[in-house]
Amino acid sequence: MIGNIGKSVRFRTKGQISLACAYTFTGVMILFSLFPIYWVLMTSLKSKRDSLANPPLWIFDPTAVNFVKLWSHETFKYTFLNSVIVTVVGVTLSLAIAVPAAYAITRMKIKGRNIVGVWLILAYMLPEFLFILPMFSLYQWLGLYDTHAGLALMYQVHVLPLSIWLMCSFFREINPAIDEAAKMEGASNWVILVRIYIPCSLPGLAATAILNAIWIWSELAIALGLTFSRAQTVTLGVTSFRGYAAFDWGAMTAASITAIVPMILFALAAQKHIVKGLTLGAVKG
Amino acid sequence: MVSNHRYTKDIPAMCFILPCLLVLAFTSLYPLVFGLVISFTNWNWGVQFDFVGTKNFLQLLTDSEFWTVVKNTVVFSFFATTIEVILGFFLAVQVNKLGINTGLIRTAMMLPLMVSGIVVALMSKVIFDPFFGIINFLIGKIGFAPSAFYGAAETAMASIIAVDVWWQTGFVFIIMLAGLRSLPRDPIEAAQVEGASEFTIFWKLKLPMLRSLLITVIIIRAIDTLKVFDIVFGTTGGGPGIRTEVIQTFVYRTAYSYQQIGKAMATMILFAFLILLIALTLQTLQKRLEA
Repeated sequence: MIGNIGKSVRFRTKGQISLACAYTFTGVMILFSLFPIYWVLMTSLKSKRDSLANPPLWIFDPTAVNFVKLWSHETFKYTFLNSVIVTVVGVTLSLAIAVPAAYAITRMKIKGRNIVGVWLILAYMLPEFLFILPMFSLYQWLGLYDTHAGLALMYQVHVLPLSIWLMCSFFREINPAIDEAAKMEGASNWVILVRIYIPCSLPGLAATAILNAIWIWSELAIALGLTFSRAQTVTLGVTSFRGYAAFDWGAMTAASITAIVPMILFALAAQKHIVKGLTLGAVKG
Repeated sequence: MVSNHRYTKDIPAMCFILPCLLVLAFTSLYPLVFGLVISFTNWNWGVQFDFVGTKNFLQLLTDSEFWTVVKNTVVFSFFATTIEVILGFFLAVQVNKLGINTGLIRTAMMLPLMVSGIVVALMSKVIFDPFFGIINFLIGKIGFAPSAFYGAAETAMASIIAVDVWWQTGFVFIIMLAGLRSLPRDPIEAAQVEGASEFTIFWKLKLPMLRSLLITVIIIRAIDTLKVFDIVFGTTGGGPGIRTEVIQTFVYRTAYSYQQIGKAMATMILFAFLILLIALTLQTLQKRLEA
């Protein structure tokens, strides 16, 4: 009896210590994760003198001057706008191509399905410069170099495989008995896709669109290789602030914050979808 | 996967998948084939386009700079992947133990993933600044000497690895937490009733069930870190010297600063083989463990 009580008390304290450690570690990791973003946000709200104060200032008079200067910068706002255009075009294109392809892969007979599968993995996995360097001359010849359409098209090499894997997994959740029944009624594959599959997997479509948007918005190497001025994206706009000697931290941090705000808002609005998308993408990839 | 449907003869399956194949052919097959051709030439973006045989490859394989770059890439990939997987998985185990709503923790860990690589690079330059940076201020407070981070040969690579760990640990965490959550409850509860310790339950029950997912996450992180470009390009640019030069920044420099496209493409071809080799090795390992 006494032994039992002793055991249960010891068990509880051991459990409590372990739980306390778990809370501490989680807290430290959250701090580690959020602090840099917090610090950069604060730096972007500091005047030039405050941002270079030593020791660093924790409390200061916030100012929007860095953001005002950023938006009156001659090129930054165009790079932001270019990214919006390229992202919208790229995401639309990827969904328009991936949705029918995913339907065909999950519900129709296709010769060489395995070859398509391997091809998708290779396109997704191989490094960017393998595709960019040979594209340069063809893009110039075709007039796609430094255009929004050209960039959105090249991004498909990465977002198309991801979109197809994600859409396949969402389509597989739909009961095939439904299209069996629809076919009895004489519905074509196209009608089944548009009337049944797409409406049934709208959350999945949203998840795919958001993950693609985040990837396209963040991409640097392809934009660096295939644009020059007219179609430069926001990642290149941000790159122009990275000068070594210049301590213009206001401009650097304001550009950084501006470039990540759309993606963070997206992520917060669609958190559950993103987690599902990342998880599925990981399992497929 | 394919059930026995009656295939009505409306639109053939090929039409559904044709746009996808065309776009993939344009964006990946053409560059691969033409890239392979380029790797055997001395092309300089201009009119000089002569076949030089395997000269580019032989030159690379006997070039000590190339091997340094390969070594840097592998070192970066190995340490970044290892630290991210251990930290992310350990955090997932701890969070899973808390038994509270983990939505906010997940959001906090997910935010860095939403930041573009180049922005991560710029942010780290502000934070790691040797003179005005917050990190040097904080480590000074606890009694350590300030560090030059990106500026010194000894710390540059470690700094970049730390930045990647900040950026991508959330990925491992999110996937592994989802994996832990999907584990069947019964065997774990049975083991708890039997009096098995938390430690035993993890090593003998949970880990074997998650092994396949864990290896998948390792493959993804390993390949992703081998391909690193943005955070090196945006921070050290490969310096000091070539201490942090990785394959993709080396290729960028070779192709755009030195106009040696043949050499750059030869590097990329070798690199593609390295990535395939690593992916296949890890996948074989995974299959063997599952069997």
